Amino acid sequence: MTGELVEVTVDRPAAGTPAPAAKPPLWQRFLRGAPPYLYLTPAIVLLVVWTYRPLAQTFQLSFHSWNLLPTSPVTEVGFANYERLLDTPDLGAALWRTVVVILGMLPFTLVIPVLVGLLSRRVRGRVGAAYRAMVFAPMLVAPVAGAAVWQWLLDPTGGVVDKVIGSPINWLHEAGPAQIAIIVITGWHIVGFAVLVVSAGLTGINPDYSAAAEVDGASRAQVTRWITLPLLSPTMAFLVLMTVLLSAQWTFPLIDTLTQGGPVGATTNIYYLLWDYGFHSYDAGLGAAAGVLFFVGFVVLAAGLVLVSDRLSTHDD
Amino acid sequence: MSRIQLEGLTRRFGSVTAVDDIWLDVADGEFLVLLGPSGCGKSTLLRMIAGLLPPTGGRVLLDDTDITHTPPRQRDLAMVFQSYALYPHLSVARNIGFPLRARRLPKATAQAKIADVAAVLDLTELLDRKPKELSGGQRQRVALGRALVRDPGAFLMDEPLSNLDAKLRSSTRAEISALHQRLAATVVYVTHDQVEAMTMATRIVLLDKGKLEQVGTPEQVYDEPASTFVAGFLGSPPMNLVPASLAPADGRTRARGTDIDLLLPFATELPARPVVLGVRPEHLVLTTPEDAGIRGVVRAVENLGSEEVAHCLVGDDRLCLRGPRPLGLRAGDPVHLRAAPEHLHLFDPDSGRRLAWQPTPVATSA
Repeated sequence: MTGELVEVTVDRPAAGTPAPAAKPPLWQRFLRGAPPYLYLTPAIVLLVVWTYRPLAQTFQLSFHSWNLLPTSPVTEVGFANYERLLDTPDLGAALWRTVVVILGMLPFTLVIPVLVGLLSRRVRGRVGAAYRAMVFAPMLVAPVAGAAVWQWLLDPTGGVVDKVIGSPINWLHEAGPAQIAIIVITGWHIVGFAVLVVSAGLTGINPDYSAAAEVDGASRAQVTRWITLPLLSPTMAFLVLMTVLLSAQWTFPLIDTLTQGGPVGATTNIYYLLWDYGFHSYDAGLGAAAGVLFFVGFVVLAAGLVLVSDRLSTHDD
Repeated sequence: MSRIQLEGLTRRFGSVTAVDDIWLDVADGEFLVLLGPSGCGKSTLLRMIAGLLPPTGGRVLLDDTDITHTPPRQRDLAMVFQSYALYPHLSVARNIGFPLRARRLPKATAQAKIADVAAVLDLTELLDRKPKELSGGQRQRVALGRALVRDPGAFLMDEPLSNLDAKLRSSTRAEISALHQRLAATVVYVTHDQVEAMTMATRIVLLDKGKLEQVGTPEQVYDEPASTFVAGFLGSPPMNLVPASLAPADGRTRARGTDIDLLLPFATELPARPVVLGVRPEHLVLTTPEDAGIRGVVRAVENLGSEEVAHCLVGDDRLCLRGPRPLGLRAGDPVHLRAAPEHLHLFDPDSGRRLAWQPTPVATSA
């Protein structure tokens, strides 16, 4: 008998290349692909109407001179608005005051929330919910209503604050104290929200890490320093980003109700300045130019901060 | 290395008793596996030994010292978590070195120890990587390394292999066994996988609904299951359990059920009573119709490669038969089976506990 060894091959029912797979008709593929875009449409429409279109209009307006009266003409002035803006000393001073507000807000948006979040981690269940509701409550008070109560508390003739600390400080009408008052009241308003963000951040950390660290021999302080805080850093970066970008906006309703930017501009930060140009001085072009400048500045700042926070986050999978 | 004793350890969550009055003595150098289905309380028990969960009642002793209320960091124990719990922001070297850093060991000593452990676990190349840059098997080894680096009194392992694929699981199983033998370490190991338990354990603890069902060597729990739960948990497929009753006949005792009539090993007539009859699938043998103790119909045949499992219907009960391939059976065939008396197990139908033969002690004459 003769023969030879051959390799065993995988059987295929038919030889040759397969016929092209059946494709649904074009309109059917279009219908199947449409839902994601349909879901996105409402959000995109709102963004365009309320954000992108006003942004474009502001940009356009910053090259024009206009006093906001529908009857008066809008004249093109080129870069004149920007030149005027950079020539006035107001801008530099307002910028510096904004930096002071941001630095002054950090204890309320970062330091206190992290401390409270770490300390209140063990408060659970119904007590924990009640506790968080209490901390969050100021956020629910309308800024203007809160401002009215604070105005009464800070009153130099009969206010509780001066009575308690025993000083005759006229909080809202002296340059330094006015700025402090604005920062503290805004902080009081925002601190509950920041605590909530930190609590959420802490909840998102797998409890196995601290359990493992405890078994590995770390004390509670070491677990906090070596494990919890590093893993919380993305949340903290988020809070810093929020503070830098939004502090000046958060102060706006309080400034407008309590000090109107005074005394002598001591509480005028960049947003109040912008609003002042536009709606007190009726110089829409100057206000728009300031708006464009701040927008570009904050975009650059935000990009930098996002870059840093991306570095910090250790994606936990 | 250390001995761990549990005395009446209990943990309740509200009205649920997760761990119910567990007494155990884990000898020095023992590899004790806590085995049971999910929700049986095995992980809760391990976390109480680690000190991560305070017990509702009972005591934990480590080398005769009461550590029930000692914080975890002061217990001389290392734990490997199911999720590995590798610190995601630290490199492999710093993960392994974490227990040394917490103990404030000098840097040079710590570096040397980390290098040693990394060499043993084949991690030297990976020391600078972050956990997210590692594969599942590598993460598992880093978790082991973190436990090994400080020569703990005992190792606690919470399903350390459950996140690995089948091939890696069997090789890591062998590695952990080898590690245990080399270190002569005390290990308490939690798993729901009976293969891990049977292959690695020196003793297996079977838990069900927080209660201890049986403690014994792998041979003991497989050959003499103490309850229907243990019998129905171990083995693949597990032991066949069918209702039957004892019937005395001709100086012997038989177990009778629907289409079942088998001779029991007892050389005496036992009084009639209902029982649960147990027989392992591999102990059922095909035979002639005249010799059959069990008569049924084949419902399905599974091919396992080297063996086949035939699922049969006997009366209203399902029985599995396991044997070398081919069994020569097809679905719909009538099947005739027998089983040797020494391979039959009896359980109480109410309590589910094993019924064992106990000869009456001969009264000594005065």
